[in-house]
Formats: sequence, C-alpha cells, structure tokens
Amino acid sequence: MKLTTKQLTLCSLLTAMALALSYLESLFPLSLAIPIPGVKLGLGNIVTLFALYALGPGETLLILLARCFLGALFAGNMNAWIFSLLGGLSALGTMVLLSRRRGVSVYGVSVGGAAAHNCGQIAAALVTLGSAAPLYYLPVLLAVSLLTGGLTGLVSACLFRGLRHTDLMKG
Amino acid sequence: MRPSPKLRPTAWDGLVVLCVAALAVGLAVFQWRGGTSRGLTAVVSVDGEEIDRVFLEDAAGEKIYRAGAYTLTVEYAAGSARVCSSDCPTQDCVHTGAVSRGGQSVVCLPGRFILRLEGGEPDPEGVDAVLG
Repeated sequence: MKLTTKQLTLCSLLTAMALALSYLESLFPLSLAIPIPGVKLGLGNIVTLFALYALGPGETLLILLARCFLGALFAGNMNAWIFSLLGGLSALGTMVLLSRRRGVSVYGVSVGGAAAHNCGQIAAALVTLGSAAPLYYLPVLLAVSLLTGGLTGLVSACLFRGLRHTDLMKG
Repeated sequence: MRPSPKLRPTAWDGLVVLCVAALAVGLAVFQWRGGTSRGLTAVVSVDGEEIDRVFLEDAAGEKIYRAGAYTLTVEYAAGSARVCSSDCPTQDCVHTGAVSRGGQSVVCLPGRFILRLEGGEPDPEGVDAVLG
C-alpha cells in the first residue's frame, strides 16, 4: 500500500486521537455503573468509523494496528494487546461489511462495530483464560453495545456533517 | 471507491439493532436459565488451572488467592461468593459484587482469575409444567 504524505499525516493524526480518546474514556470508567470486565464507551470506534469513510479500509487497518500496539505499550500491559486487537479487527471487519450496504447509515455501522468489538474481546478472553466463563458476560456487553454504538454513531454523524464540505472527506 | 456515509438512521439500522438485541437475548436465555442458589460449588481457577473448590451450602469466611502478580480476597457465605478486595488495576472483579446462581462467574482478567459457580439445583417448589 502506497500512502501520500497527506494520507500518512492523517493516519498518524487519527492514531494519536484514538489513543487520546482511549485515555480520556479511562477517566470515566463505564464499569463503575456496569461492573463487567471489558465494558467501556468505545470512543476509539469514532476514529475507526471516520477513517473508514475518509480514508478507506486499508488505512483504517493501519491506524487500528498502530493504536492497539501503542495503547498496550503505553499501558505497560502487553496482555491487553490481544484484547484490543481481536476486538478492533472484529469491529473493523463488521464495519467494512455494513458500510458497503447502501441502506445502512453510520448509526447501524457503529452499533454493528460496537457489538462485534465486544464479541472479539470475549473471544480474546476465552483464548487467554482458557475457560468459557467470560461468555456469561456477552449478553450484557451486547446490550450495552446498542447504547455505546448508538452514541458513537451520533458523534460520528455530527463529525461527518461538520466536515462534509472540507476536502478531508474527498480524500 | 469509498462509500459516502449516510447520516440519518434507516430501517436497515433497525435491522442491525434487532440482530444484536436478538443475539443478546438468545445468549442470555441459553446461559442464564434455571440456575438457583441451592447446592452450589465455587470453582476457583487461575491461568486455566483449578486451584480451589468451595461448597457454598455451609461456607463462611474469607480466602486469599494469589493470581499472577495480584492478590484477591474472596468472601464466601452460604449460597454466595464475592471478591471483596483485589490489588489488580481494573477492579472489575470487586465491582462485580456477589454471585449466587449456578453458571455465574467473577473474572479478573489481569490476574487470569475465574470464580465460577457450579451446580444450582432446580427449585423443588418451582413449576415444571402447567397441564390443562
């Protein structure tokens, strides 16, 4: 994949923003209200959704890989890497498929991505812990993803509306 | 060519929401059915290896477990168990609170610690079927 200077700069900027959003949401842990491992707002999905439409799947994958690696490195917890990677890849795959369906808006893409993210994280927990126990949390995580996905969809829709007339959305 | 984003909710979005909700309800019904707090055993495992088994019917008191770099204290009572303290960074295991039905579990991801309740006899006074 060959990136122009503009694309590379945008990828770097979005990676930094995703890391900053991830740090920001750690200041407001959703797990205090819903005490389940892995439950969070998923603000990083706003970046994935934006990059998917503004840059394309290949560039979004690069941003995802960079943010998963750097996020785990900054947190000093490389075990978290497999969780964010599997969650992120599941979310991206689902978002790519849904975004290609003409009738689905950013809300549907966002909800689908949030749900897939949780499924990916539970898969990572099953592999890491070697037990089916984490599956017990999946119904609640999926229910929560309807809310968090709707929220990130709303933020993304506002973002796209605001940037519609800029050349960011024209590639 | 990249798809341009649709910014207003559509009926297709409703279908996506419906699919996620149906999956959540289906999994909940499949996993959460039928467990009671009678005849429960708490099975504790760390890193996939079972390290303790506590019959909850006559259990009382606390036990301390070492899970990787972390130490967790589990409080057992008749019919329930909870992680009352842990020095793990996420504290999700502590926030989960008490579990008291068969199939429920408390997970500490940083410590790779799982407390899972097994058993849970069916309620003898529960209705199995209503016949006309």
